[in-house]
Amino acid sequence: MAAELLRESFQIQGRNFDKAGEISSEIKVILKDLDIDAACLRRVVIVAFEAEMNVVMYADRGTLTLILTDQDICLDVKDEGPGIPDIDLAMKEGYSTASDEMREMGFGFGMGLPNMKKNSDDFCIESAVGKGTSVFARVRLDSHA
Amino acid sequence: MPELKHGFKIDTAKCVGRMHCMRACPTHAIRVKDGKAHLIPELCIDCGSCLGVCPSKAISATTITLAELDRFKFKVAVASPALFTQFGLGDTPAQVGRALLDLGFDAVWEYAVDIELVDRAITDCVKKWPGPFPLISDSCPVIVRLIQVAYPSMVEQIIPIEVPREIAGREVKRRYSQELGLRPEEIAAIYITPCQAKSISILQPAEESKSYLDGAVGISEIYNDVLYRLRKSTAKLKSDTQEGLMDSGELFHWGNPEGEFPNLSREHYLPLIGLTDIIKVFDDIERGRLTNIEFLECHACQGGCNGGNLTIENLYVARSKNLHLKANMPKPPLEFEREVARRYGSEDFSLRGSVKPRSLAKDVVDLRARVMRRKRAEEILKGLPLLNCGLCGAPSCKDHADDVALARSEISDCVFLSKARIDLLRKIYKKGPRASKG
Ligand SMILES: Nc1ncnc2c1ncn2[C@@H]1O[C@H](COP(=O)(O)OP(=O)(O)OP(=O)(O)O)[C@@H](O)[C@H]1O
Ligand code: SF4
Ligand SMILES: [Mg+2]
Repeated sequence: MAAELLRESFQIQGRNFDKAGEISSEIKVILKDLDIDAACLRRVVIVAFEAEMNVVMYADRGTLTLILTDQDICLDVKDEGPGIPDIDLAMKEGYSTASDEMREMGFGFGMGLPNMKKNSDDFCIESAVGKGTSVFARVRLDSHA
Repeated sequence: MPELKHGFKIDTAKCVGRMHCMRACPTHAIRVKDGKAHLIPELCIDCGSCLGVCPSKAISATTITLAELDRFKFKVAVASPALFTQFGLGDTPAQVGRALLDLGFDAVWEYAVDIELVDRAITDCVKKWPGPFPLISDSCPVIVRLIQVAYPSMVEQIIPIEVPREIAGREVKRRYSQELGLRPEEIAAIYITPCQAKSISILQPAEESKSYLDGAVGISEIYNDVLYRLRKSTAKLKSDTQEGLMDSGELFHWGNPEGEFPNLSREHYLPLIGLTDIIKVFDDIERGRLTNIEFLECHACQGGCNGGNLTIENLYVARSKNLHLKANMPKPPLEFEREVARRYGSEDFSLRGSVKPRSLAKDVVDLRARVMRRKRAEEILKGLPLLNCGLCGAPSCKDHADDVALARSEISDCVFLSKARIDLLRKIYKKGPRASKG
């Protein structure tokens, strides 16, 4: 059984592009402070950033929880928002419902969810339309992608 | 890890602890305890931000002086293109080259060839690179060190190609040892540098190999001597003997902030200058953005190497000189092309060694202990006023908390927590309005 070492939660404000990316930056600082292996850090930061951005772009509000154990780093992201009607479709590379405005800011390539999956050792996503979405990703400390 | 060397020294006799350097340092590597600045070596990236801001001129670059070169039998100058932007519009690169010869160098290297070679090697490398993108230029040592210290996960994106100055150093030794029958160690390959960062990259390359160059002389060190010779009648100078490629305008483009990579498509290549902006872009890369860019050319100094901290001329004047040189750039002579073609086929440009993240935790403790330390730092931070006044000797309250957790400092160094600290500071900084009144 993995022993939990650290757990921290962060609130994400939906539709607030000013602060977008701050939480994943903070997570990077924490993991760097802890001298986490560079490859592992990178994967976690990518997953955290894409998850954070999806909440910012599509949901009303959300929480990102970072859980560090002696074996892995997990990100648990839950939001209140419109939810995703067809998860298989949303997971496809290039599928996006981003607005023109978001595309102008350099988002909306439909790569976020696929990248999150690619960069984690375990990944699951659940969603209830009209309620919200939850994403759970696990990156092993000894993973070398 | 061998002891880290750095490109400058703090003269404690001159330092009066005014903290300008501590506040200017982008990696928070400086502390001012007991009225004297000192460095945390593993955090320093040799950017030189501290150098220019010191009001007491207590920080100086450690480059070498010309006198130190006497032990060599044959001395070759490899001049940064930035050197040629430092003098008047009418002073040609060839004249500057001649002044270097008069100064005591036995030859001035035709550096343009090496620049062109590396340019090609980079273009080839980018085309074949399987990812991750973007690749990042390694010519500015500050950038390489910034990545090692603050972006460890990006070290594999540093382009694995030697920098032009190293390629030049290697060829200098090869060519002259062959031509003159000297041993390579009797020949000095000396880089004329716009910054102390490059001199440190010669002393201790980030990729842990040994430099081909024997040292660096700062532009500021030779500036007056060169200028004096330019203003004297040039006819009297030793040697118009070194005929060569020095007039070729190809000498210049590496030092340009928008250094051109003619074979990389514009939309996939990005030149970046200035640490502040570069840090923003690196943050984005670390989050997995910008993968559509193939190559980033990064220069830490505002204005690129023409604005390096050992240059003399005002950056904008230097830039205008650079533009002037470019506008009057002659077509490269045939032998330039031939030399590039000959050497490109026969030399290896791949980086010897690899750049690894710098380990910041001095003591090796396990993850659990590191988590405990972090929690302790957070607890300590809660008790600090978050004013970042710097009087504890650390640049911010967060740094002070980290220092205490790392046992680098006492928590009571914070003036809000201890009257003794205020008394001590009063003693150290006894000048000021109070003293002048009495
Ligand atoms: N938290 C969420 N709430 C509601 N819908 C979501 C959420 N996350 C993703 N989606 C839906 O899934 C689609 C695909 O998401 P994905 O992150 O893969 O791409 P994107 O966000 O559109 O573009 P990119 O991530 O490349 O900027 C989104 O366009 C959106 O319709
Ligand atoms: S930009 Fe050029 S001058 Fe400035 S530190 Fe980097 S290499 Fe040196
Ligand atoms: Mg997304």
